[in-house]
Amino acid sequence: MMDHTAHTKRSLVSPIPARAGIGLKAQHYQEIIDTQPDIGWLEVHSENYMCAGGPTQNWLNAMRERYPISLHGVGLSLGTAGPLDPLHLERLVALERRVEPGWVSEHLSWSIASGVYLNDLIALPYTEESLGVFSEHVEEMQDALNRRVLIENPSSYLRYEHSVIPEPEFLLEVTRLSGCAVLLDVNNVFVSAMNHGFDPIQYLDQIPTQLIGEIHLGGHSQTVINGRTIRIDDHGSRVCDEVWELYEHLIARIGPTPTLIEWDSNVPELDVLLAEAAKADTIMAKAHPFALLQTSEEARHADAG
Amino acid sequence: MPMLAELQNAMRDVSLGGDAAVLAPAIIGDGFAAEQRLNIHRNNTTILLSDALAATYSVVYKLVGEDFFNAVARLFVRAQPPRSPCLFEYGMGFADFLATLPAAQGLPYLADIARLEWCWNEAFHALDVAPLTSVDLADVAPQSYGDLVFTPNPSLRLLASPFPIKEIWDVNQCGANPDASVNLDEGPQSLAVLRPRGSVEMIELSPGGFIFTEQLARGASLEQAFVTASNAEAQFDPSSTLTVLITAGAFHTFALKA
Repeated sequence: MMDHTAHTKRSLVSPIPARAGIGLKAQHYQEIIDTQPDIGWLEVHSENYMCAGGPTQNWLNAMRERYPISLHGVGLSLGTAGPLDPLHLERLVALERRVEPGWVSEHLSWSIASGVYLNDLIALPYTEESLGVFSEHVEEMQDALNRRVLIENPSSYLRYEHSVIPEPEFLLEVTRLSGCAVLLDVNNVFVSAMNHGFDPIQYLDQIPTQLIGEIHLGGHSQTVINGRTIRIDDHGSRVCDEVWELYEHLIARIGPTPTLIEWDSNVPELDVLLAEAAKADTIMAKAHPFALLQTSEEARHADAG
Repeated sequence: MPMLAELQNAMRDVSLGGDAAVLAPAIIGDGFAAEQRLNIHRNNTTILLSDALAATYSVVYKLVGEDFFNAVARLFVRAQPPRSPCLFEYGMGFADFLATLPAAQGLPYLADIARLEWCWNEAFHALDVAPLTSVDLADVAPQSYGDLVFTPNPSLRLLASPFPIKEIWDVNQCGANPDASVNLDEGPQSLAVLRPRGSVEMIELSPGGFIFTEQLARGASLEQAFVTASNAEAQFDPSSTLTVLITAGAFHTFALKA
């Protein structure tokens, strides 16, 4: 077992503030540089910036000078049985050293089998075997980065016959075993709750405040199969009303927390993303009008646990 | 109860088009057939990877249209799925794959356009280095010029085609004149694709200039490269090609061959 304190004591160059941020999309680079909108922070998909060089790295550097950055990974596949891809982990470490992000996050899911990357975040069977595999991989990731990471709860479309541990318990057990914290995706909780028929509020309420480093909000789509609706997490639309209500419920309990607006397909004008972010900021401010008087929220979250 | 590795390999096969029935016993149906649930993941993989290919091969996409592209991309994704999660690296074999497709034979230049887009993609993401300039060569004695060897800019890619691929590429860019057309009989074209600074550039070379550049990029001396190029193009003039290459930033460092 590694020493968790190593991941919690490292001071952050640019922590993520307890405000709303947006996912950075290529089509918005220039407008953000030109207009420098008042947003708390930006998040990028780590894999898009692992190239040897070129303009995308320069754009990220330009953003980094203006905003705190969070690195959100989609390719480490922590849930895959067998070893992590050492080259990929190496590239993530190199990117992290260069960007000095406020947070580094990954998913409670898997995407790789026998070396093939499926470009899909697939839920795990929640078993003792999966718990061991996943927690060890989170530890390996944290050891390589020398920092605490966030793990995001998935959207899921199927469950396995041999799953025995409820997802929130599995996630909390991972945090206990590895020392990581949680990226709580409210939309994912809602999508999975609707798809599998559980209570999303109960799920959210199970995650302790001090473990939540970041929140994700995004849009999803609905598909009807056999006359029944299944919800698909495609980050292609506005955050729906039910998810905003869940978010208000969560914020009332845990206080202002870095909140990301994710929009990855059918990407709209920047203004639309900024309006969604402003909505999250308003919810945080209304629920906690005197939050500014508290000791720095970002410090609390960055050092959480 | 399947072990995790076994389950993941089976799901990988299903997501790449395999029979979902084998996995059905492991999946809770809950109002759906297990195959329908697995099909959501198969769609995710197929559609998201096809989108990644469409982003890299935007001219091919434009030339063949959405339906054809998606059908071909789906075949390619299943035959050659990515081995890396960095999708800017995905799709190297797409041009060769297109070349083997009977359905794509109506567009004989299609595979070369895909090759050009791959060159562009690699040049775009290559390591940034300071280009060699003529000032760097000021101290080289003229009698030693023949012994000069260069390291190429890491972004440099070379592509020769029997078709005017640069023109086809140009008229299929955003903002190009929609009425512009390309005469396919304009003949073969030899290109250097590189990104010395911010943007990717394409330089047309003569047949001799192409061989000359290819030789230099492989580490041949200026003298060796000139001889090889002259064998292919009797009237080959190395000085104009060399000027073009150095001005374009095609080289990074130089040395004198021992």
